[in-house]
Amino acid sequence: MVRTIIAILTGIFLAAPAFAVDGTRLLQEIDRNLSPESYESHRKIINIEPDGRKKEFIYYTVKKGRDKVAGLFTAPASEKGRTTLRLGDNMWLYIPNVGKPVRITSLQSVVGGVFNNSDILSLDYAVEYNVENVEEKDGEYLMHLKAKTRTVAYDRLKMWVQKDKTLPVKIECLTEASMLIKTLYFKDVKDFGGGIVRPAVLETDSPLYKGYKSVMIFAKIKKREFKDEVFTLTFMPKMESLR
Amino acid sequence: MGPAIREKGRGAGRLPGAVAFCVLFFALCPVVLPFLLPFSFAEEYTFDVSEVEKKPYHIGGYIEFYPIVFGLDKNSAMYKLNFYDRSVGGTTEEYNGNLQIEASLEKGVSRAYMKAYTSYTNNWQTETTKTTIFEGYLSVKPSSSWVVDAGKKTMNWGKGYAWNPAAFLDRPKDPNDPELSREGFIVSSVDYTRSFTGRSLKTFSFTPVLVPVYSGVNEDFGEVDHLNFASKFYFLFHDTDIDLMFLTGGSKTTRYGMDFSRNITTNLEIHGEFSLINGYDKTYTDENGNVFKSSYTAKNYLIGLRYLTKSDTTYIVEYYRNGTGYTGKEMRDFFSFIDTGYDRYIATGNTALLDKASNLNQQGAYGRMNPAVNYLYFRVSHKDPFDILYYTPAITLIANVDDKSFSVTPEITYTGITNLELRLRTGIIAGAGGTEYGEKQNDYRMDFRARYYF
Repeated sequence: MVRTIIAILTGIFLAAPAFAVDGTRLLQEIDRNLSPESYESHRKIINIEPDGRKKEFIYYTVKKGRDKVAGLFTAPASEKGRTTLRLGDNMWLYIPNVGKPVRITSLQSVVGGVFNNSDILSLDYAVEYNVENVEEKDGEYLMHLKAKTRTVAYDRLKMWVQKDKTLPVKIECLTEASMLIKTLYFKDVKDFGGGIVRPAVLETDSPLYKGYKSVMIFAKIKKREFKDEVFTLTFMPKMESLR
Repeated sequence: MGPAIREKGRGAGRLPGAVAFCVLFFALCPVVLPFLLPFSFAEEYTFDVSEVEKKPYHIGGYIEFYPIVFGLDKNSAMYKLNFYDRSVGGTTEEYNGNLQIEASLEKGVSRAYMKAYTSYTNNWQTETTKTTIFEGYLSVKPSSSWVVDAGKKTMNWGKGYAWNPAAFLDRPKDPNDPELSREGFIVSSVDYTRSFTGRSLKTFSFTPVLVPVYSGVNEDFGEVDHLNFASKFYFLFHDTDIDLMFLTGGSKTTRYGMDFSRNITTNLEIHGEFSLINGYDKTYTDENGNVFKSSYTAKNYLIGLRYLTKSDTTYIVEYYRNGTGYTGKEMRDFFSFIDTGYDRYIATGNTALLDKASNLNQQGAYGRMNPAVNYLYFRVSHKDPFDILYYTPAITLIANVDDKSFSVTPEITYTGITNLELRLRTGIIAGAGGTEYGEKQNDYRMDFRARYYF
């Protein structure tokens, strides 16, 4: 009996390093390192085709709190004035010619290419995912994340995290059956000012889109507070006034 | 057993040169364009902050070339009504050039906005150039909760893609091209919006609107000498968009509406719309041209969904019940009356009956985009099929459910060049004699649109 208790205690003691990392806290820390809770940013989204041809979009984004994100396309001319809004699981697209917001879904893509709407209008990872397991090896954490609900675009994520900076290096987006949908690569860590040091380039490719690549480049990320009413359908046509 | 579908095409004739050129151009795009466009394999990405500098003014828009070929159905009622005194071949062409300019100027909390549309049309009947101010209004936004607009504006109420029975303040959409800009009305409106955190109700908006209808102001909205009042209440409640709206004031009879929209899953959206029109006056004719009027409460509704598959195919399905529409018998009577008028014209040269039918068509409700009661809209589009980049083929079916007539429109869109959009469509119109689509003046249409955004 005493032997059994000692064996269990030893087991627990030896296993302790595996639980040393609080996954949820780590994920929240990664979220805060990637962006402040409320901010504005300018990004360029580039879709690169297998033959090297490119399509570029310039996109202004604002975010508030855990679940409010809105964006405005400022270029090219054919996309200018289009706005997107996300409130939790709800997403809308406003096209000036159509004149009213229409609901869109997270798996659609307003820009084509490999990024879908949930990538472009991304929320904090900790809002959408629970941490199932964290492995530590070679100066990295490997985090296994599981979607909190079925409305999240990817059922599972495998996130490789740089230990010293607590920033993601690579994320694999998987289905429930662990089939790879796409991989996100975080590159070119840059100081954006205001204490924001994060990757300036986010690249993605997908086995579902062989030869295609999409890239998101951040030019400005700045802390900024917004009223809740900015994140409403009524405000979508007026988003330009925030810039 | 219903009447058999009549094959409407008869000796369509030659394909005009301009459209043939467009078809060839379209087919060669994927072969030729990669050699014409600059490209780079470089992995270095640049994004200069100067690219996002904001100016207080903006001018943009598009210019488009839009030729259309119509294949005429010389046995149809609408052909007889429109072409009874003219001799044309099996096809007729129309050349359109359109320019849409949008301009805005922002200063402090104020913004002036204008959208002007200039169209050049050249067809068998006319050669015209017309400029219309679609929108032109001043907007004041003292806070993110309040917006006050005054001027000519489209309100775009409703959630339907092809039809909007609750859009009381808008001109009807063309279901063949639902995303086209439309002309607005002169209104003054206020938007009040409030957001809530941690509740089932996340957003509430209230939009009261005044619509003056006087001589020279919004005369085509309804009866003149009335100041109309409309309102919309919006709720984002339990992740569902809900709108409640009404219009009253005398230019049109009082009407009430509601709509909703909700994402069921990550790739499925459902929506619906309902409206109730008090005291709707329907003018209709029997086969002899005797005109009757009936007044009743019209109930209109629409239910639809949008579904995206894993392979990037989008399905849009909508069912629309138009309570103000004509029944199958009423439509047949109207077409019979046109036939009677045409026979009299052939026999005597007297156009009185055809004039009366034309008046019913243009002034009455027979000439509306969708004059009947029950419609089905079904559209399938697929992005980049077989890895052929920037091509989106689509097919759209619009069917009159009651008389089983329909139009089916295959199309292909190419967006491989930044700011340029090319679209080629063919619309095939089919139905038995006495049905809505069977009696349209065209058997088919083919159009090409080259639109450049600037």
